[in-house]
Amino acid sequence: MPDENVLFARESDAVPAVEEGTAENQTSKYLICISDGLLYGIDAEHVETIITDHTITRLPRVPHYVRGIINLRGQIIPVIDIRLRLGKPQADENCIMVVNEGSESMGILVDGVDKMVDVLQRSILPMPTQNPQKLISGMCSLPDGKTLLILDCSLLLHE
Amino acid sequence: MGSGNDSILDMYLYETNTLLEQLDGILLAAEQADTFSQDSVNEIFRIMHTVKGSSAMMEFTSLMTVAHRIEDLFFIIREKTMEAVPEALRPELFDMLFQAVDFFRGEIEKVENGEALSESIDSILDKINSLVNKIQNGNAAPAVENSAAAPAAAEAPAPANQDYPFGIHVFFDEGSGMENLRAFMLITAVKDYSTDFITVPENTENDPSSSEVIAENGFFLWFREAGERDSAIPAVQSAGSVSSYEPVDARVEASAPAAPAPEVPAASAPAQPESPQEPAHPAPEVKAAPAAPAAGGQQHAKESLISVNLSKLDQLMAVVSEIVITESMVTASPDLKGLRLDNFTKSARELRKLTDDLQDVSMSLRMVPVSSTFQKMNRIVRDMSKKLGKKARLTLIGEDTEVDKTIVDGISDPIMHIVRNSMDHGLEETEAERVAAGKDPVGEIILSARHTGSEVIIEIIDDGKGADCQAILNKAIRQGLADPDRDYSQKEILGFMMMPGFSTNTQVTEFSGRGVGMDVVKKNVADVGGTVSISSEWGKGMTTTLKIPLTMAIMDGMEVSVGESLFTIPINNIRTSARVAAGDVIHDPARGEMMKFQGNFYPIIRAKDLFGLEDGHDNIEDGIVIWLEAGERSYCLFVDDLLGQQQIVVKPLPAYVNSFDIKSCGITGCSIMGDGSISIILDIANLYSAGQSMF
Repeated sequence: MPDENVLFARESDAVPAVEEGTAENQTSKYLICISDGLLYGIDAEHVETIITDHTITRLPRVPHYVRGIINLRGQIIPVIDIRLRLGKPQADENCIMVVNEGSESMGILVDGVDKMVDVLQRSILPMPTQNPQKLISGMCSLPDGKTLLILDCSLLLHE
Repeated sequence: MGSGNDSILDMYLYETNTLLEQLDGILLAAEQADTFSQDSVNEIFRIMHTVKGSSAMMEFTSLMTVAHRIEDLFFIIREKTMEAVPEALRPELFDMLFQAVDFFRGEIEKVENGEALSESIDSILDKINSLVNKIQNGNAAPAVENSAAAPAAAEAPAPANQDYPFGIHVFFDEGSGMENLRAFMLITAVKDYSTDFITVPENTENDPSSSEVIAENGFFLWFREAGERDSAIPAVQSAGSVSSYEPVDARVEASAPAAPAPEVPAASAPAQPESPQEPAHPAPEVKAAPAAPAAGGQQHAKESLISVNLSKLDQLMAVVSEIVITESMVTASPDLKGLRLDNFTKSARELRKLTDDLQDVSMSLRMVPVSSTFQKMNRIVRDMSKKLGKKARLTLIGEDTEVDKTIVDGISDPIMHIVRNSMDHGLEETEAERVAAGKDPVGEIILSARHTGSEVIIEIIDDGKGADCQAILNKAIRQGLADPDRDYSQKEILGFMMMPGFSTNTQVTEFSGRGVGMDVVKKNVADVGGTVSISSEWGKGMTTTLKIPLTMAIMDGMEVSVGESLFTIPINNIRTSARVAAGDVIHDPARGEMMKFQGNFYPIIRAKDLFGLEDGHDNIEDGIVIWLEAGERSYCLFVDDLLGQQQIVVKPLPAYVNSFDIKSCGITGCSIMGDGSISIILDIANLYSAGQSMF
């Protein structure tokens, strides 16, 4: 099996984006990943692991954004390319974030993983536009001025 | 894990189902012999007793009541032997029992589905009661005969009493009436505590005259052991209408064993009635018999078996599969390349042997014989042969052939369907027809199972009139399934029978003709990875063959490569493989390619084009052509290379991927190779359809 570089080591040096809130200011941890210059946040509770350089077995006759399946410690997991899924051009990315929702797992191909942030629940705003993919459940601003798009895992898995 | 209550319910369902299956078997055998052996009577009595007891515990009243009545009925039969049931009554008795089994099954099914149980059990109770009455009345004559024929038998209870010296003397409420029946109820109650006892007078339940004797002298229960007597006292206490009881001990003469009989009854039992109705056979023989063999047989069967939840076996299988794969990942690790590791190699070989054993054992845990499925068919043949008035016998061959549990469950319905078809359409309508055709008037259906390496072959053979190919073809044309201008081979015509909505029967009967027939069979068998084929000769009968893989979890596959991709082809689909020269390939006008193998042309499907792969050979001379066959379909697949045969563990594809319907393009699952890479398992039948729809 190819090497799996688990990148969770970064978690420790992640800077909280928002000061620890009081009881009513509930925060959730999100893992920021980068794809085609945009920042996507995935609820950290759903993230199982992050792997790089894993061989993906192609599957015939599936939509182009389904890159294939991988063998993760005996578990067969489908991998989708978030760029292709959102209608962006394909790149040579090889970082797979494995997320799970219920009993199902899925790998998401991204350009890279940035860091973990705490986001105030009430700071997450709805998308102002109807995006055709309906995968983004909200957005929020980060302290450094960038914008985070919240990716909804269950929508990804159960489309 | 379920709650405690659930597991009790599971246990109850399992136990009751097993008992009902056993009962069904006994009944079928008994009906054939037209009588119950004493052993069977005891067995049925015991089964009914258990069902009654456990149903009462679970508070399933309807089940309990019916079981109780049947138990009573068999109590009578047990006492009097089958002689008591006149010939004329026997069919009625058997029918009633079969109905009762069906009733139990129905109720159990309701319990399983969490539905409410039937409230109206009167009709079946009426039937049982009327039978009880008939048997009792019918018995009046032989009983008198018995006593006349054996006046000496009156002495029989004497040695019996000798062996049963510990008694309870019971008086019923004065004027309560029907003392004999009350005594009988008392006997039944006491039976829960002790089985080894005799009563004076005997035969209370079917001898109304004993009623007076009991009213006058009281009713005696005699036990072998004082302890047993004492344990029965609570039953007597709680029984209805008992006004008083007292334990009595018979005086046992010192010379007891050899003592002449006459004095003993007089001495030990002053109330001993001079009943002329004493049965001829001595009581102990009847009473002692049931307990011993029944209990012995039951324990023997139970001790060595435990029931395990199937999901646990699934888990075990999954873990073992992982171990097998991990083991080869460790021993074939690239890190070990070029190292001389003698000890490691030795241990690795040992490990391989053990994991192989482990795999075999865990697979064998899931294997069950097909006999339970086969036995069910006995019942179907019996019922249908009664309903349709056709005489038929079912011959079972290879019942102990073992297959995976999930597969057994999957093939039960298809086999039942085919057997019904054979009974309904296969066998000739009348015996005269069969005799005219030079056949045995009794039709025969053979159900056979056998292993061939990785498959189980189940054949259902009838010696009926066979399939009328012309009729099938006409019907297929009428239904638009066949092209009237084309010539079809016999195999193709029989294939129409398995198309959806096809039924040659013009009338819908209770058993078949609804048009959901062979296509459902085909689908169910395909679900467990098997195939169905029919062969038939007009006038000679029909043979339906089911080919089913032994297990769905592990199979023999041929690894092939196309560029970077790995595919697994089930080994039993492969006819042959060959490297071909460009000149061997024949092109049709639509640019399709064909190959000739053994005198027939077969289309070539290129895996690379079919799956839209980027790499892989294009020149047919660089790769290899595999001739495949799946059911009715035969074609060639062009791949880059054969990598070798391997046992693989089948893993289903993730649900997310399956939602894109890739099953229909010939991919059924995947398996993990020794080096951790994934190979895709091809479904040869669906692959062909996918290939056809592409070109």
